[in-house]
Amino acid sequence: MKYFILIFESTHHSLKSEKLLTGLGIKFDIIPTPKEISSDCGMAIRINPALFDEQLVSSILNKNNITFHLHEKVYK
Amino acid sequence: MKTIDAKGQLCPIPLIMTKKALGELKENETLEVLMDNETSVKNVTRYLEEMGMKPSTGKKDSIYHVFVNKTSEVSENVNVEDFCTINNERLSDYIVSFQKNKLGEGSEELGTILAKAFINTLPEVEAKPKKLIFLNSGIYLVLKDSPVIDTLKKLEQMGIEILVCGTCLDYYKKKEELGVGIVSNMYVILESLSKTSKVIYL
Repeated sequence: MKYFILIFESTHHSLKSEKLLTGLGIKFDIIPTPKEISSDCGMAIRINPALFDEQLVSSILNKNNITFHLHEKVYK
Repeated sequence: MKTIDAKGQLCPIPLIMTKKALGELKENETLEVLMDNETSVKNVTRYLEEMGMKPSTGKKDSIYHVFVNKTSEVSENVNVEDFCTINNERLSDYIVSFQKNKLGEGSEELGTILAKAFINTLPEVEAKPKKLIFLNSGIYLVLKDSPVIDTLKKLEQMGIEILVCGTCLDYYKKKEELGVGIVSNMYVILESLSKTSKVIYL
């Protein structure tokens, strides 16, 4: 199954994003950044595409000066 | 001959079905157990052999047929679950014990996401622990509203045993909110910890 993975520029941004998205009632998982996406050991957010509203997520994160990169990962 | 269908069942269900069916058979009657995976076949065979019987196995259209003559009475005192865990080849012989709902010392918010990330990584690692133990504030991770509840349920389905400290649930008044795992006590927890080759404390 395919998931969206949101990668951030710092752990502080990951933490802040987690709070913001939780506040919006969005369901997601905190995961370590997948090795194939980045070699740094940051924290990423994994969202089920069915629950992912890119516009909503982008607008709230941008409003808080958080930039993120969107990746996809297929899980067995 | 009596036939029972244990296809699609995970341990210990095929063992429980086998034991129950044998109990209902007369001496020298034959039991046939249908299963769809090799691990279940191994577990059931090992159990029957331990009971002093001589099972034989055939495979047809990817379904395993285990036949056994009831040559002895089945002991009620045998815990069939003991024939499960050891043979679960996908699990490694180690336990992770969560002493709190955070990982490491220092920043609380950092510790909180590290704990979540740790649990969300477990389904993907090859060497999975055979048990997870949750103590003290660690029990917050196994409550219904835990952010990692779905992952923990998935791990439980993979055969990983989740033991939750009953005293701790009681202390935090969260007994009603348990979302995954078995309520356990210090006897079981200590026994698990002492029997395994490695424990990771978080």
